[in-house]
Amino acid sequence: MDRNILFFKTGVSMYDAIVIGSGVSGASVARELSRYKLKIAVLEKGDDVCSGTSKGNSAVVHSGYDARYGTNKAHYNVIGNAMYDNLCHELSVPFVRNGTITYALSEEEVEKLQELTENAKKNKVPGVKLLNRKELEEVGGDFGAEVCGGLWAPTGGVVCPYNLVIAMCENAAENGVEFFLNTEVNHIEKEAIGYSIKTNRGEFISKIVFNCAGTHADEMNNFVSSEKLKIIPRKGNYLILDRKLSGKVKNTIFQAPKKLPGGGHTKGMVMVPTVDGTIILGCDSTDVDDKDDVSTTREGIEAVYQYFSENWKNFPVSREIPEFPKKMIISSYAGLRAHSVTDDFIIGEVKDAEGFFNMAGIESPGLTAAPAIAAELVSEVSKKYIFEINPAFNPLRKIPKQFRDMNDEERIKALERDKNYGKIICRCEEVTKAEILQAINSIIPAKSVNAIKMRTRAGMGRCQGGYCGPEIVSIISEETGIPITEITLSGEDSFIVPYETCIPGEI
Amino acid sequence: MIMTDVDIAIVGGGCAGMSAALSAYGHGIRNIVIFERNSYLGGVLKQCIHNGFGIHKFREDLTGTQYAAKLIDDIVKTDICIKTDTIVLNITEEKEIVAVSSKEGITGYRAKSIILAMGCRERSRGELMIPGSRPAGVLTAGVAQRYMNIEGYLVGKKVFILGSGDIGLIMARQFVLEGAEVVAIAEVMPYSGGLARNIVQCAEDFGIPIYYNTTVTGIVGKKRVEGVFISDVDENRKPVLSTERFVDCDTLMLSVGLIPENEIAFKAGIKLSEKTGGPIVDDMLQTDIDGIFSCGNCLHVHDLVDFVSIESEVAGKNSAMYILDKIKKDKKPLVIETNDGEGVSGTVPHRIDLNKGEEEVTLMFRPNSKFRSCTATARINDRIISSKKMPVAVPGEMCELKINKNDFGPFEKNDKLTVEIIP
Ligand SMILES: Cc1cc2nc3c(=O)[nH]c(=O)nc-3n(C[C@H](O)[C@H](O)[C@H](O)COP(=O)(O)OP(=O)(O)OC[C@H]3O[C@@H](n4cnc5c(N)ncnc54)[C@H](O)[C@@H]3O)c2cc1C
Ligand SMILES: Cc1cc2nc3c(=O)[nH]c(=O)nc-3n(C[C@H](O)[C@H](O)[C@H](O)COP(=O)(O)OP(=O)(O)OC[C@H]3O[C@@H](n4cnc5c(N)ncnc54)[C@H](O)[C@@H]3O)c2cc1C
Repeated sequence: MDRNILFFKTGVSMYDAIVIGSGVSGASVARELSRYKLKIAVLEKGDDVCSGTSKGNSAVVHSGYDARYGTNKAHYNVIGNAMYDNLCHELSVPFVRNGTITYALSEEEVEKLQELTENAKKNKVPGVKLLNRKELEEVGGDFGAEVCGGLWAPTGGVVCPYNLVIAMCENAAENGVEFFLNTEVNHIEKEAIGYSIKTNRGEFISKIVFNCAGTHADEMNNFVSSEKLKIIPRKGNYLILDRKLSGKVKNTIFQAPKKLPGGGHTKGMVMVPTVDGTIILGCDSTDVDDKDDVSTTREGIEAVYQYFSENWKNFPVSREIPEFPKKMIISSYAGLRAHSVTDDFIIGEVKDAEGFFNMAGIESPGLTAAPAIAAELVSEVSKKYIFEINPAFNPLRKIPKQFRDMNDEERIKALERDKNYGKIICRCEEVTKAEILQAINSIIPAKSVNAIKMRTRAGMGRCQGGYCGPEIVSIISEETGIPITEITLSGEDSFIVPYETCIPGEI
Repeated sequence: MIMTDVDIAIVGGGCAGMSAALSAYGHGIRNIVIFERNSYLGGVLKQCIHNGFGIHKFREDLTGTQYAAKLIDDIVKTDICIKTDTIVLNITEEKEIVAVSSKEGITGYRAKSIILAMGCRERSRGELMIPGSRPAGVLTAGVAQRYMNIEGYLVGKKVFILGSGDIGLIMARQFVLEGAEVVAIAEVMPYSGGLARNIVQCAEDFGIPIYYNTTVTGIVGKKRVEGVFISDVDENRKPVLSTERFVDCDTLMLSVGLIPENEIAFKAGIKLSEKTGGPIVDDMLQTDIDGIFSCGNCLHVHDLVDFVSIESEVAGKNSAMYILDKIKKDKKPLVIETNDGEGVSGTVPHRIDLNKGEEEVTLMFRPNSKFRSCTATARINDRIISSKKMPVAVPGEMCELKINKNDFGPFEKNDKLTVEIIP
């Protein structure tokens, strides 16, 4: 039965636990909660899960040398990193420990790396080493002539962040968690039986609330607590390079960290070989006002472009491709760091709001740390409230192998099962109709073009949906019965083809 | 996998693929297969319902669909095997092909010769790095055209167009005919890349302004386009941000260039040209792998379909000659490379073998800016081999220069044939 209908009939919905937000924080919490026999809901204002920062970041599973010793960031970063192999295995999500290198161009920068090496030791990050030029070459290839050394962190990895978050949400849903999309929390009130959560789609009541609202987590906290939080959205812009370069970059490579004028520091520019074969280049760091505005900025894009034009020669890939390959840029995007003025993750029960748990200020290394934070937080909460174990909990999410990753034998077999594997919809990323249909009919159905893109990569390649866009629109329409003119890019009124052409003679 | 043997395998059933097939067939080859990933033959012609096709080849002013129909009519009269709804995933240096379709599943072929005719794709917003939000309503001309002419949907009612080439101009007119408003067309160059007749018939006649030296510098709108920012550009085509202004619209249509589609050629290790995006070919249109040929928009982007046909017939013929073993082998290769000189970009072919192929070679290239009463020449060092006067030359229109192999005279090993346009 459609959950939304059920909800509208009963008016108010009662839950044991409600999670606000379905980024990596909310998804991790929801999945952890589904280990217990509880009635759980996730409220997400976007038209799909993972509508916030978790889909626009560097995709790096940080080793933990960078986060300052003694902070929550450092603690959960290292534990989170160690969880990734098993987590991604359970969820059938690609994860690669490709190792992270931070390179230095001057003695001054080497000193900075020396500090990080010591910090890494205190954080108990395995295997971190400061390498001289020659050692660096053995590990990471031939860096440019000006590079004098580098910090090697073998446990650094890469993951596709939205792939991971969608997988976590799907697994949570399979284990009974209900997802309410297009549902924005506007107000929260403490009541006798728990919290009353007011949304654009009615009221929800829950004894326990997890605040995982990303850049909006301060507002959620401030509804219920006198201890006010402040989150500053800090924007970073990225460029994406074509999958044609797949395999040409091995490690994730950072420049030496830079101090920020506004306080704190950023890890600086980074080159990331993604699990999908593209290369991400980013990012700058600029404080902004709008907490949802992920539009790219000219200044930001130019900063990234300029940095990589000038510094391309420092990266080992420049031996094979001497110039920054501008023609390989296929897209750009921006993400918003949820920077807390306290400069650390804010985790745990709010002092003056019993049953309200924060997971706020989750900026970098939040992607890495969130699974660890959620595991610890939910485990504590389960003890406090004496949750009953859900014996049916299944941590495994099985998905069919993607056509793109199959060999010829596997492809022949897949086609025997389902002839839709024979219809390639996205030629750049080799996505078939079978995979599009799986996404539309999955447990958290993908009904917009972007939701399908996030699950299948259709439209993410070099032509950016030029070929597959119209095909996908018509498949969604055929499969769901939604008229073509009402199919959206990403929910609400983001209609792709709002009008029909006129009938001859009409004008 | 079972491999089916064929003489010629053609990847792509657009104008190029069909023209090459017909030509090879005419030269006596019978076992030919065309793979086309769409459910129909014709490629991009099928969505061009405007006229202006076939004036050179058929001496008739046809629509794109009519032009395609003529070729399809000829194809079905032959026993050329047509595999529609079939996409080629891979080709190899050994000329093995893997294709997939819902009907037949994964299939393998071994060909004596392959002709690459995959057409081209459009440059996207991502490649231009236009900053701003990512709403619905930003799309390329080809996609808008497909929605309009094949599927019957209109992408918006207040359209801003970036790019004043022929495709942008033709779409501008079609939007108006469909009842939409075209706010303006912005062109980053000081002139349009389109044909003069299209500027008049598609923009001026409908009162659509073209802003020259202007580009889009931002996209606004959370869910659907609400407007764009545009700015003047300086002589280096960099935006002058002090001139930035907002234009209200619900759609941004991009018509900013086409890129030859060569993913499978790239994967097969065929050498591609940085300038054209297509394979490096000799005057027989043979790539650096023997027996693999390339033609049409996947070799280099054409403005007129007639020249696609003519070029593809050359590829088809040479593919036939290759199979029939009629390519002169008695003489050693005597190769000279071509080279873009002043005023010229993207000369095709990249190599000429004086001891093989036809005596007459057609050099094709684009001017890199606008010229009036100029001369196109091909020379080896200071020796002019061929030249021709042109009243005008613009980047939007491909130029041709015919050259005869008998006129080359002696040259040294490292000499190049330089093609240039002299004002
Ligand atoms: C530029 C950049 C690069 C980064 N790189 C890395 C990296 O390489 N490695 C790493 O470990 N970390 C990285 N991070 C950090 C990481 O991306 C974040 O810490 C993490 O994604 C935060 O997840 P979240 O779930 O807390 O927030 P989000 O992903 O933002 O999720 C919050 C969700 O809550 C929803 N929501 C908000 N308000 C409401 C409301 N009122 N009602 C209902 N729903 C609501 C939003 O729509 C959203 O889906 C980076 C961050 C940025 C910005
Ligand atoms: C909008 C527009 C307007 C134009 N207007 C004019 C005009 O007014 N006058 C004029 O003369 N010319 C015009 N042209 C130019 C002319 O139509 C084209 O240059 C010509 O049709 C290109 O033919 P082609 O066969 O090279 O490419 P296409 O027509 O693109 O054909 C390539 C085919 O290959 C198929 N294919 C690609 N990859 C694979 C694969 N892996 N497996 C199987 N199949 C594959 C594609 O599906 C496609 O059908 C216009 C072009 C466009 C785009």
